[in-house]
Amino acid sequence: MTNAELSTEQHAAPPLRWRELWLKEDWWAIWLGLGIVIVAYGFFANGGSIKWIAVTPPKWSDFSQLGAHFGANYLRYFAQFALWLAVFTVALTALGHRARDFLPSFVLLYALAIVIFAVGQWDKANSYNIEPPLLALAVGLVLSNLVGLPRWLDAGFRVEFYIKTGIVLLGATLPLTLIIWAGPVAILQASIVSLITFFVIYFVGVKLGLDKRLAATLGAGGAVCGVSAAIAISGAVGGKKEDAPIAITTVIIWAVLMIFVLPFAARALNLPAGVGGAWIGTSEFADAAGFAAAQTYGDLAAQGAVAGTSDQAVFAYTLIKVVGRDVWIGIWAFVLAVVATTRWDRDETGRKPDAAEIWWRFPKFVIGFLAASLLVTLATRGYSLGDYNKTVVPSLVAPIKDLRSWAFIFCFLSIGLTTRFRELASAGKKPFLAFSAGAIVNVIVGLLLSAVVFASHWEHLTR
Amino acid sequence: MAGRCRGCRHFRNDAKYLETMFKGLTSLSSAYGSVRSDDGICQRHGRYLRASASCGDFEAG
Repeated sequence: MTNAELSTEQHAAPPLRWRELWLKEDWWAIWLGLGIVIVAYGFFANGGSIKWIAVTPPKWSDFSQLGAHFGANYLRYFAQFALWLAVFTVALTALGHRARDFLPSFVLLYALAIVIFAVGQWDKANSYNIEPPLLALAVGLVLSNLVGLPRWLDAGFRVEFYIKTGIVLLGATLPLTLIIWAGPVAILQASIVSLITFFVIYFVGVKLGLDKRLAATLGAGGAVCGVSAAIAISGAVGGKKEDAPIAITTVIIWAVLMIFVLPFAARALNLPAGVGGAWIGTSEFADAAGFAAAQTYGDLAAQGAVAGTSDQAVFAYTLIKVVGRDVWIGIWAFVLAVVATTRWDRDETGRKPDAAEIWWRFPKFVIGFLAASLLVTLATRGYSLGDYNKTVVPSLVAPIKDLRSWAFIFCFLSIGLTTRFRELASAGKKPFLAFSAGAIVNVIVGLLLSAVVFASHWEHLTR
Repeated sequence: MAGRCRGCRHFRNDAKYLETMFKGLTSLSSAYGSVRSDDGICQRHGRYLRASASCGDFEAG
């Protein structure tokens, strides 16, 4: 669609307010994620389980095993595909997408996800350093940048929607008591790093001659939650329309680089899983990119390549990134909007921001994450540890975790499939330098806090 | 809401339009998320703004 065509369409949409309950993907991630958790609990409470539909490829060593598995379970995969297709179609149609665009795109995505999942379960995958999140990302990048896919296929590559749905499902596997216990340290660590990173990028940017709004947009992109923070802050401070694409390009380049670098750097430093996860949570920029890195590090822990468990890496990452950084975006936006309207452009666009903006910009999927955690924590509070591991884990928690893994694979593939480097806006040297200064400081301070100051806390997470 | 960008003919904030204008936005984010609120582009001034902002060039949409 060209800009000329776009300009003939309807202009500004009316205020969303509570219509965001069905017009924002955050809420749809909650409805889908919590819906799955509630249904899973319903089956569990009646002596059943959703594990039939939460099928995943098993470990295998030769193709005949894999073939036998798919031959015996193709109906389960078909049912799972139909389930995902149905729920995502309902949600995306409500958000304004066309079902007929989504269907072929999701068929391709699901087929690729099965292949990625199966390759990751190969018993030699570890020997070749094949990590499913990285493989998904690499396959997506190759298809979109070297092979080339038609633009209309993007309809099914909804990175944010898949990661938010996966995060809500993740909540069901993370006890609320753990969030309450580890949350304050996560918030403290994330706040220290966020403030330092923001001010480094902002002041280096201003020193290099960047407009303050662009410097703030870049700063938030590096300090809070990547591209999402950049567009939130650019809008809040009234930046030039070119600012957001500059920040998007810069964040994408750094975030994709970090997905590949951070897990292996953490491994080279011999960081335990929880410490590595906390470092990734502090130093990655976007939620989706960070989950790819954290899941990779968790997989390394599961293989015994690093100390700790897969859950420790993913939980530490989630606590730092989601609880420690993401939830503050509304406050960042409000404060910077006040600064912009009272100090930076008193002569230009008027109206001070309303404090209600803090709520409207709040990443609502976090509510779903906490609600899922609360729900499963309350539902399973009467079980002893032995019964929990023997009954609750296989029948309730593990199937939810498997469905979460699917959502994450959809997301990791979609990152690669939608990242077309040639189409990104030119960032320019100065914005890239300013952002890079903050990113480097962020990585160093993040490592210091994760591996030295709070090392014991993260190393023993979940034990 | 007269006077605010939301009601101005120069202001566009539908998610599809923004995802077309902001190249790469869908790679690690989207225009359908809560954090964007209802921000949009002022086509007259080339700014990306809150829908509740305003200026002297307001023209009812």
